[in-house]
Amino acid sequence: MSTMTINGKLAPLPDDPDALLVDVVRDALDLTGTKLVCGAGVCGACTVLVDGEPAVSCLMPARSAADQNVTTVEGIGAEKLHPVQKAFMAHDALQCGFCTPGFIVEAAAFHDSWRAAKGTAVPSREEIGAALSGHLCRCGAYDGIFRAVADACAGRFDGEEFVPPRMEARDKVTGSAKYTVDIHHDGQLEGMILRSPFAHARIGELDLTAARAMPGVSAAISLLGDDRVVRYVGQPIAAVAAKDRKSALAAIAAIKLVSERLPSVIGLDEARRADAPVVFEKSTRKKAGNVSEGAGSPASWKGNIRGPSAAFSKKPKKVRSWIDSARSANSPLLVEGTFRTGTQQHACLEPHAAVARFEGDRLTVHVSTQAVFHLMELIAKRYKLDHDKVRVIADHVGGGFGSKAALGVETTTAIELAREAKAPVRVAYDRHEELSVTGYRPAAEMKIALLPSDQGELKALSFTAYADTGAATNSTIAALARLIYPAEGKELADFDVISNLPAGAPFRGPGGPPMAFALEQAIDEAAVRMNIDAIALRKRWDPDPNRQRLYDWASSLEVWRDRKPISAQSGRYRRGVGVATGYWLYLWQPGSKVEVAVKGGRLIASTATQDIGTGTRTVIANTLAREFGLEPHEVEVRIGDSKLPEGPGSGGSRVTASVIPPMLLAIEQLKAAIQQNAKRQPVPGSNAPWREMLAASPDLAASGVRPEDSRQMAPGIQSPLKQAGFMGWIFGWMMRRFSNLAIGAGVPSSVQVVEVEIDTWLGHVSVVNVHTGIAVGKIVAPALARSQATGAVIQGIGYALYEAREVDSRTGDVLSGGMEDYRIPGIADTPMIDVHFDQRGFDHVLGGSVGIGEVATVPTSPAVANAIHHATGVRLTELPIRPDRLVAALKGRVAA
Amino acid sequence: MTASAMTSTQPGEFRAAGTDLSERRRSGVSTGPLIDIAAAPDMIGMHWGADGSVRLGAFTTIAAIAADARLAAAYPGIAASAQGLATPQVRHLATLGGNLAQRSRCWYFRNPHIACLRKGGPDCPARSGNHLYHVAFDLGPCVAPHPSTMAAALLAYDAKVMTDQRSSLTIGELLGDGRNGGSDNALLPDEMIKSVELPSPLQAERALYKRAISRTHAEWPLVEACARAVVKDGTFQFVRLAAGGIAPVPLRLAAAEAALQGKDANAANIASAAEQATAGAKPLPMTGYKLDLLKGVVRDLLEEIAE
Repeated sequence: MSTMTINGKLAPLPDDPDALLVDVVRDALDLTGTKLVCGAGVCGACTVLVDGEPAVSCLMPARSAADQNVTTVEGIGAEKLHPVQKAFMAHDALQCGFCTPGFIVEAAAFHDSWRAAKGTAVPSREEIGAALSGHLCRCGAYDGIFRAVADACAGRFDGEEFVPPRMEARDKVTGSAKYTVDIHHDGQLEGMILRSPFAHARIGELDLTAARAMPGVSAAISLLGDDRVVRYVGQPIAAVAAKDRKSALAAIAAIKLVSERLPSVIGLDEARRADAPVVFEKSTRKKAGNVSEGAGSPASWKGNIRGPSAAFSKKPKKVRSWIDSARSANSPLLVEGTFRTGTQQHACLEPHAAVARFEGDRLTVHVSTQAVFHLMELIAKRYKLDHDKVRVIADHVGGGFGSKAALGVETTTAIELAREAKAPVRVAYDRHEELSVTGYRPAAEMKIALLPSDQGELKALSFTAYADTGAATNSTIAALARLIYPAEGKELADFDVISNLPAGAPFRGPGGPPMAFALEQAIDEAAVRMNIDAIALRKRWDPDPNRQRLYDWASSLEVWRDRKPISAQSGRYRRGVGVATGYWLYLWQPGSKVEVAVKGGRLIASTATQDIGTGTRTVIANTLAREFGLEPHEVEVRIGDSKLPEGPGSGGSRVTASVIPPMLLAIEQLKAAIQQNAKRQPVPGSNAPWREMLAASPDLAASGVRPEDSRQMAPGIQSPLKQAGFMGWIFGWMMRRFSNLAIGAGVPSSVQVVEVEIDTWLGHVSVVNVHTGIAVGKIVAPALARSQATGAVIQGIGYALYEAREVDSRTGDVLSGGMEDYRIPGIADTPMIDVHFDQRGFDHVLGGSVGIGEVATVPTSPAVANAIHHATGVRLTELPIRPDRLVAALKGRVAA
Repeated sequence: MTASAMTSTQPGEFRAAGTDLSERRRSGVSTGPLIDIAAAPDMIGMHWGADGSVRLGAFTTIAAIAADARLAAAYPGIAASAQGLATPQVRHLATLGGNLAQRSRCWYFRNPHIACLRKGGPDCPARSGNHLYHVAFDLGPCVAPHPSTMAAALLAYDAKVMTDQRSSLTIGELLGDGRNGGSDNALLPDEMIKSVELPSPLQAERALYKRAISRTHAEWPLVEACARAVVKDGTFQFVRLAAGGIAPVPLRLAAAEAALQGKDANAANIASAAEQATAGAKPLPMTGYKLDLLKGVVRDLLEEIAE
């Protein structure tokens, strides 16, 4: 048997020629800092050093490591933190942290060789970008990573003193943070799912006996619904639990089934044809998924088309007639266009995963989830268990973006397999599953007509959206155009187009980015037609007070003031500047509770929420520490466990606005209790009165429940739903009643100004500079809010330029199931990003802060498209703006 | 899943660093016996001839080729190609021989549940399906572009490939002419690449490599090309262009080369020669854009080379 030396210790290597180094490191040696993500050498999460050089351990046969020196992330900072680790912590160069160990290993190797050769010279962005080109971060932490690597190379982190702005940063840079995929119980089995190879079929006999009898197999279960129909390639049919992946694969292959193929239909165009096979018959419509954050409203449903959902329209008939007249009169002011967006996958680097374990009648499930508390309720309901018998845990979550908010098949399968096997079971999706069946932002086709009045006001808007929702419904794109740019009339219609593709899911501002892509280009075009500055026009048409301030900020930017006339350029490279606006609803979760306690002199805040990389731990710690005059690292935050007081889900940008107000109430009570119980009042004039009182305090606790907001609001601040009148009131009532989400007053807003450079020969768009102005109230954790803002821009650039799920339109197979074919932005695609926080506008919320996650990504894609139009005079109406589309548009022809 | 379309059985598949094979084995696309290559001394490193030529062992890593200063001075197109492909962590492991013998990156081929010509299936699902990233020179039944960046560069340099059974194979002889849909190269089932010989470079030649991709780094090229040229007294004395990403095998762009031979090295001549780069192209319905990109890459290369 051969051996390797790993982190200084000798370790045996398996004889299996197919064993990969990543599996030995993670499974046999339990060094789980090294992550398996893409399995194809694209993302770098599995990077280890082999004899000092970074190597891709997911593609390296374990036997090639024989007699070599292997260093994992655990070995990088084993004795004391490496300068790169300290720099990542200090610059908050991480969010969910799942990619972080791979970045650390590569950046440490780069740092060490750079320092050896060049001392403390500072590497350029290009040099850093090239060195880290083999790593992908879905949260988009690249802005901080650039700064961290540059500063570490410059020697600025050779010393010891620094305070990281993110609470759990140390665990993430050292690889000790445990994610769901890292959980390993004794006797734990590996669960695997047999998925449909057909886009539409009825499964007859399903014979699991042979699979169940295979060596190492402990459970085999059916996952078919009562109608036994599968409606997309990849729909679950059955699952097995076995001692390892290899045995599970063999068992899956031994499952026998008889299937009857049914006619299928794939995608937006085919599914709309009158003769298209129907995906959901009336009796099965409840099986369809939901692509929005809230529950859906009723809508008519004909064949595969559900809609129109048009409740937010205003004088739609008049709008139609005004637009028809303008068209017949060849009005130069009438802007009309059809816009298309691609299907965007969440592409979480930690896949959907769950580890279920029964102990007697108690069930504990580690889940990579955005909602520990709600998931506990859903599991209890589904399996008829008492709430106190179910515990959901998520210490760290490797990205969610909306796709991990529901009770997923990975979780139910792990539970059901664990129950049958009477052993703990882990289900962790592979990359193809993650990039095909876990949801996506549906592609959309949007027809828009926008008519200014002769007086230069916005008279009418017509917006019809068809969303490619697969086996799901409830897309809300056009309706969102009601809550911005008031007009005399709006005709807004949303349609879901259902087909034999996996179900879409909520994705960061569901419906927002596609709506903005169409509407913000139409506004831009109106400004061109009206010969008015594009920011000035928005300022005229959009009275929202938060955005009025952002427009003033944007129009004062040098890059905006200095911009040249449209398409004044003719060379190979052209530069352009574009602007776009975005908004999102301010949501909070009624019933959210936070407990604050002093225990042994230490402050602890507890709530059953979770940190998916957004910074929730830090937001809570900063608030608690600030109120008591302490440093954040002096307090403790307990989250990620459904046993804690009911907390909000990490969706709808709701967490900050749901936890700070009840925490402030609890803090007030706790302070009173501490004072009451104090034997001695603090010395007058003490600069740390609470520190002394806490140290002397007996153990005390207080808890708060999320209060209603104050009705005293700044001028112009109102619920965005007011614009939609009675239907808006109904919508708000339904969201609260059926989705436990309150829509507050005041509109989180973002205005972005983007500068691009176009290479007209190679069809390449570089986003050079981005200025993002954001109004979400008071910023509680500035470094982390900046990370959210820059990450949102980077994800928006992915949506604008690179990302699209590709399918085979005959079979429904997802072709872009690997990270080499589903293209998310890399570090070198990151522009210079200037973040401006306008902190006013939410004083009616206790604490003054609302969420940032969604609003920050809404305007990026139209801002990029508007900048391309400014550079070239050509309007790109289809996302992503890939080289094929750009070269075609520049030549005035249609891309394939 | 149950239905699997496996590759045809072979005596065993050679494994060098495994950066391609590991992914295929894990997904189930490739099965069967493995033969780990025990590299002989002549398969490792660079061996320089007295005439300035060099023999590169097949086991030499891409990173070593990318980093070697003498190689970069003599064969800048080879070094730049090695620097431009894959990612740093892959380049540290991947070998030259493995890069040449890697299998198709087509998304139908890489899906273990889909049959295709390369896996012994009856037809090419990409041809009638989604071939966004496929060939623009439709030369054979399989429409996947050959993935080897090094092969295109070696074609530009008239490299010869030594195997354990044959010597002096041209890149064309190694990879075929693109008409065999069933295989990625013309190696015999038990034939192993041992080394690659580069003839000595021309006096005063310059060479460059570029690729067109949607992002900045780390992406399979939409189009890539390696150019060599000798410009003397303002005229092109020698031009050599080889392109990848556009055909089932790397292609020489002979018409564009001919258009510049003996011509003044000016922008107008380069622009009109770049138009010739697509001579003989037969794009698929979704790959017409690659012709624009090919012209752009060629023009870009030649302008920089003529500077």
